[in-house]
Amino acid sequence: MWLIYGIISGEIPWSQGLANVIYACSTCGNCIENCRFEKFNDFLVDMIEAARVEAVNSGFCPERQKALLERTINPEKYNPYDEPNSDNEHLKKKYNLPDEAEWVYFIGCTSNYRQKNLRDATLRFLKKANINFTLIDEHCCCSPIIRTGQISPVKDFINYNITQINNTGAKKVITSCAGCYRTLKKDWIKFGADYGFEIYHTVELVKELLDEEKLKFKSEYNKILTYHDPCHIGRHMGLYEVPRDVYKQIPGINFVEMKRNKENAWCCGAGGGVKIGYPDWALEISKERLEEAKETGATVISSVCPFCRTNLQDSNDKFNINLEVIDLIEILDGLDFEITEKS
Amino acid sequence: MDKEKILKDLENIVGKDFVSNKAEDLYIYSQDPGASLPRPVDFVVMPSTVGEIQNLVRSANEHKIPLVPLGGGLTLSGLVIPVKGGIVVDMKRMNKIIEINELSKYALIESGVTSGQLLSHLNENFPNLQPPVPDAPPSATIAGNVLIHGSGYLSQKYGDHGAMINGLEVVLPDGKVCKLGSCAVSKFWFARGPIPDLIGLFISSFGTMGIITKLSIQLFDKPKFREVVFGLLNDPKDIPNILLKITETGLAEDVLLGKQDKPDWMKGYVFVIAYVTGESQEEIDSHIKSFKRVYRKAKARYMKTPDRIRTAYLEKPIFAATAADFRKGGGFEYVGANMPLENIPEAYKRGAEISKKYGIIPTLGSRLIGGTHNIVMFFSYSFNRADPKDMENARNALHETNKLALELGGIPWKAELVGQQLILEKMDPNYKKLYNTIRSTLDPNRIMNPGNWEVNK
Repeated sequence: MWLIYGIISGEIPWSQGLANVIYACSTCGNCIENCRFEKFNDFLVDMIEAARVEAVNSGFCPERQKALLERTINPEKYNPYDEPNSDNEHLKKKYNLPDEAEWVYFIGCTSNYRQKNLRDATLRFLKKANINFTLIDEHCCCSPIIRTGQISPVKDFINYNITQINNTGAKKVITSCAGCYRTLKKDWIKFGADYGFEIYHTVELVKELLDEEKLKFKSEYNKILTYHDPCHIGRHMGLYEVPRDVYKQIPGINFVEMKRNKENAWCCGAGGGVKIGYPDWALEISKERLEEAKETGATVISSVCPFCRTNLQDSNDKFNINLEVIDLIEILDGLDFEITEKS
Repeated sequence: MDKEKILKDLENIVGKDFVSNKAEDLYIYSQDPGASLPRPVDFVVMPSTVGEIQNLVRSANEHKIPLVPLGGGLTLSGLVIPVKGGIVVDMKRMNKIIEINELSKYALIESGVTSGQLLSHLNENFPNLQPPVPDAPPSATIAGNVLIHGSGYLSQKYGDHGAMINGLEVVLPDGKVCKLGSCAVSKFWFARGPIPDLIGLFISSFGTMGIITKLSIQLFDKPKFREVVFGLLNDPKDIPNILLKITETGLAEDVLLGKQDKPDWMKGYVFVIAYVTGESQEEIDSHIKSFKRVYRKAKARYMKTPDRIRTAYLEKPIFAATAADFRKGGGFEYVGANMPLENIPEAYKRGAEISKKYGIIPTLGSRLIGGTHNIVMFFSYSFNRADPKDMENARNALHETNKLALELGGIPWKAELVGQQLILEKMDPNYKKLYNTIRSTLDPNRIMNPGNWEVNK
């Protein structure tokens, strides 16, 4: 915060080194939880992101983070992973999805281009759960570019995606991505979006189905599992108990908590552009989380975010931590369950 | 000064990753959260071993460049902002808890260990023991606190936190490592004596005598139950009487006083905040009854504590800096003066007058140090950090308060540079001479935090 003040007051000039300090934060929001100054602690992450906008405007956005914008605005890509844009028509065909539906599954770039297993698990789950849903030719939700202060095209992307969603007639949008969830539900509103649909994370739907006794497990998951709170679901959106309630209802599961959990959970290290900007730093942060998971005696660390999954898995592999890293939706995909009408 | 050569030397000593002369890094170390003006820094280093610190000291002597050791950087009075430029030695990497001795009840730690770190280590591994905890954020280092005669949790019962030091390991200004306390003779860091007690030389000398690398701090039994008992006093003149009556009971673990105009519900009263402990709820209830009687006899009213306030006051550390949030800009500094009980009522009266004179909401408080032997008085001033005039206003208020404290027979605690000079003006000349002789003998090149306690200024 002092550095940000120094920039605003003109006491220190922008430099690449200064930009790197501002960009090395994963914007996990733990500062918000621990800062005791209630008048402004809610805005700490906003201040960091505002400083990044200043860095961009002053020409000091670090090179690696710049790539996020370049790829996202590329009309062949529209995603930060430099992959050709998928209009998702092949998935619609494969899963026999209609053009108009009650729900839209917003896949998100990480699931669509990197963690395809998570995407496919979600598709299978939604089908099995008899959800009337479809897909859109989605463009990036803009989380990566918002987090890195590169906000110039954000409104256009939001408008495009909202139009696509509205064209399906959907009243609900569901995603398995914590980053998309936060962005659609919080950032899009902040950028002036006015949409009439509700935003769900898959875990909320699962919880709803369990609460209504519509989902009944038919097999067990006999493992010791600990849950990693993604920052974008936890601290940023306040969803702590919903995922825990779901995990705890899976038969056979031995659910254990890490020392630092919920509001005080240690970040996976990937967010805020850190994964692309400072990959080694991201893995170091993740290593600390995995070691904490190991201390609990768990053999599985699970989350509800494809980006956390990526970074935890990368760190697990790099440092030979020997944990199983898996997303909740992948666990559900591997279980037998039946969907019934409300009993 | 050949800065290129110094940079290379520093890189060789601590490694490239742990030395910086970049503007963005130096900016942080050129200021603190208080009202002091920023001052330039040449380098910052983060050593991780005693050997590295010895080499830093030798190098600083060779280059005649100042060294300023820094813990959490939270004194608020600019003590770790270099006065004459130089190298800030940030101790945060020396953060090992080396030993917890459950029988002799001490923690042997490196000097970068924070109060939050030690508290959580004990809570997890030695739940029957507790450390002294300063009224500062958990990132304050134990060393930083005890080495300024810090106070806080457990001070009423056991004295200031500096008095809880059993031993020190110090890198002297010539680079030699010296052990002080029982550890100078024994493998146990259990006591301060019985040998000539030189530990005091390193307390409140603000890094002018050497760099502390390890210390042993006393730990205490943790009672099973702890409660806070609030009383309301109308007139500050009754403070000495009520404090004497409280300490006579022998029941108080800690005693705090507070008088402030904001939040509104606090205006007009002196809040008496006593902590009682016990092994059972029945014992606590009995202590509360005793305190109700004491308060009644001392013209105070017992106040049933709302849960929100009770919880806040039972936290460790107590969030004393809440006062900092009274105005935009988040700036906060206070004169903490050690005062004799006799003049505490006058200090409250005139402290509030100073606040009003400078347009700052009166926020005053005190804490008992070892019964009524010593009262540390807090005159707090908040300011807008983004407004240089407001900061100057706060500095003027602080200066006037330092003068008041001295006039009333007190001594400003962890005084900033101008406060140090006010103290030196009143100090016994032979005390000054003795201090300066020792300092010049230990540090002929004057590399250790020069500008602080400058006798011949």
